[in-house]
Amino acid sequence: MAETKTFYKTTLPPHIHSADSLSRRYWGQLIALLPVFVTACFVGHAEILRVFLICLISAAAFEFLPARLFRKKENPQNGEALLAAALFSLLMPAKCPPEVVVLGVFMMVFVAKELFGGTGSYPLQPLFLARVFLQLCFPTIMSEPMLLAGGGNVWTLVSIGLGGIILFKQKQVYWETPVLFMSGCFVCEALFGGSGTPLTFFSGVLLTSFFLLADPVTLPLTRRGTAFFILGAAFLSSRLSPEGFSIGSAGYAVLLMNLLTPWIDVWLKSVPYKMEKPRKATCST
Amino acid sequence: MFKRHQNLSTEKERKIETPGPTFKKTKKRPERKTVGVRLERKKDASLLNFNLKRPYPPEKIRIPIPAFAEPCVKIGQVVQLGQKIAEPQGPEGVSLHAGMPGTVEKIALFPSATGSKERMIEIRKHGEPKTLLPAEIRKGWEEIPAEELPKIFRNSGLVTTDPLMEPVHGKIERYAGARTVLINGCEPEPYVTCEQTLILSHALEILKGAELLKKALGAEKIFFAFEACNLEMIELIKSKIYFLKWEHAEVRTVPALYPQGLESTLLRAWFPGEEKKGVVFPASTAFAVYEAVAQQKPFYERVVTVGGECVVEPRSLWLPVGISLHDAIHACKGVMREPRKILMGGPMAGAAQTTIEVPVMAGTNAILALPEEIAREETGVLAGEPCIRCNLCVDHCPVLLSPAMITLAAEQKEFSIAEEWDVRECIECGNCAYVCPSKRPMLRLIRSTSVLSDPAVKHG
Repeated sequence: MAETKTFYKTTLPPHIHSADSLSRRYWGQLIALLPVFVTACFVGHAEILRVFLICLISAAAFEFLPARLFRKKENPQNGEALLAAALFSLLMPAKCPPEVVVLGVFMMVFVAKELFGGTGSYPLQPLFLARVFLQLCFPTIMSEPMLLAGGGNVWTLVSIGLGGIILFKQKQVYWETPVLFMSGCFVCEALFGGSGTPLTFFSGVLLTSFFLLADPVTLPLTRRGTAFFILGAAFLSSRLSPEGFSIGSAGYAVLLMNLLTPWIDVWLKSVPYKMEKPRKATCST
Repeated sequence: MFKRHQNLSTEKERKIETPGPTFKKTKKRPERKTVGVRLERKKDASLLNFNLKRPYPPEKIRIPIPAFAEPCVKIGQVVQLGQKIAEPQGPEGVSLHAGMPGTVEKIALFPSATGSKERMIEIRKHGEPKTLLPAEIRKGWEEIPAEELPKIFRNSGLVTTDPLMEPVHGKIERYAGARTVLINGCEPEPYVTCEQTLILSHALEILKGAELLKKALGAEKIFFAFEACNLEMIELIKSKIYFLKWEHAEVRTVPALYPQGLESTLLRAWFPGEEKKGVVFPASTAFAVYEAVAQQKPFYERVVTVGGECVVEPRSLWLPVGISLHDAIHACKGVMREPRKILMGGPMAGAAQTTIEVPVMAGTNAILALPEEIAREETGVLAGEPCIRCNLCVDHCPVLLSPAMITLAAEQKEFSIAEEWDVRECIECGNCAYVCPSKRPMLRLIRSTSVLSDPAVKHG
């Protein structure tokens, strides 16, 4: 039988915690992204590997830089940089010069994320901000078909769907997020018409609804608020460009809705149950 | 055995058998949104040693003196079991009774579970303990008028056996006019089984105690609240109600989610907007009320679960108020490995103790010795990572608050914003801190706002 100590450490309750953690979430998203990535390599362009490597190295460098500059505590194993690099490489066009990729990653990691305070503090979705920035600076390069959706293949659709199911299984996204985004896009496209090919349209909508909207940092705080955000983003991304939905227009839409997020938080705030507080104990013990 | 008997009975016999109790179907109430966390229950270990025992008296006990009571014993005086050792002062006071026969050694300040020092009466064991005498039944206890009951409660030292430890007569006075008495048999926290063990061992006494509370309050109905998964308790109480032919009693269930089943969530769920219509007493308080009125036994002991992975023989047992945690754990054969934390109460809302010399109080429902793997805290980089607004805390808040917004405001010392987001409605259940993937110290931040944004503190 062990002996008990005289003094123990005290902390505030709760004394148990769920097994969830940030790195678990990021690695979970990476696992869900794996089928998409593999399909993109086989069906689309093998070019994606080169772009991904450039993205990864530069993302790691730009994460490391502010950690040294601002003396922040960083946990490089949590997979955040890897996830950002993987998603960004999927959005890049096929023939993209490396310096453009590095500039995009600089914009995404350093400017949009780290300068605003790092993980959890950025007001605008860094991925879309970088993509929109590149679109404005290099319109000709960025108008080329994307590495992923460029193939416009059925297998791409299947792999994105599979990744979505894995994300659902991990309970990382509300079920409303993809359902509302997809139905919103379909309704707008059916009402106003679009010019994209169906396969490109489908893969773009699926990728956006499952993976690009999975980052909760810039989304509103309540379930209702998130639903409102998603509907607004779906409507805007279909109506912002005359050709209908594209990843580019989705970028503008999400950034515009991001600006609205603080107001949505206040408008659609949940009303708490209010009741009279029990009186403080009369016993001193 | 039961099964075999059923198999042997012939078809004809089965038809002759009297029908079992048929329970009235209650009207279906409109569904309310129930929010909570499904925790691992971990109750089996302490339920294995089911029978309630009293440990061998310890060397000494230290009984905390309540705020409105004054000691009426002198140092060196010999006291008997259950003897009054402090007199109630003022209308809010309750008397205090010795949980062990012995000699009053000291009346001084000793470390308490709150972390500060409190005034306590130390009683040291005096000679060998005598065997307990059978209880003396009060004559005509069922006919005692309602006005007399609070006086009996006051002189028996009855306090509610929840963490608030409010005097029972005070609570009855405060809730005068309440229509319903709720007897709470829910234990949403893991490990804790004291109410369950007591209800299964003394169901009838608890029902009688509930009836006494109803009489004292002048209420009309009694609700028994249980978690939906505790089927044996539900069936037991239902059958007792049926055989007593009580039309005014009803068994109701809540989902087995934490914190459904706490006093505030029960009132919110069943009396929305009119919480004063119901008053909640733990089942163990109802049992203490029965003992005080029927058996003239003052309140000096309660059922406590001693558990956690480190304890050799986790179980629920009768412990006198004032026994130290050290003696309580040793009554369950000690610890088999070094615990990381010693808790008073459950792992979600209980208080971690610095020392095991602190005494058990009337509101202590569990003493837990948790090992490193269970009560581990993240240290270094992983401790308090930034909020990623994942909404888990918002989705799991039973009061429908936005803990993320409140704690982000608290980090920036913007207490007025936290106030705007209704931080005062927080019941401090700890769900937000439990589910947070970033392991942020949510409860510390919420408490900092409620303390610092208090106008009394703000303006000195």
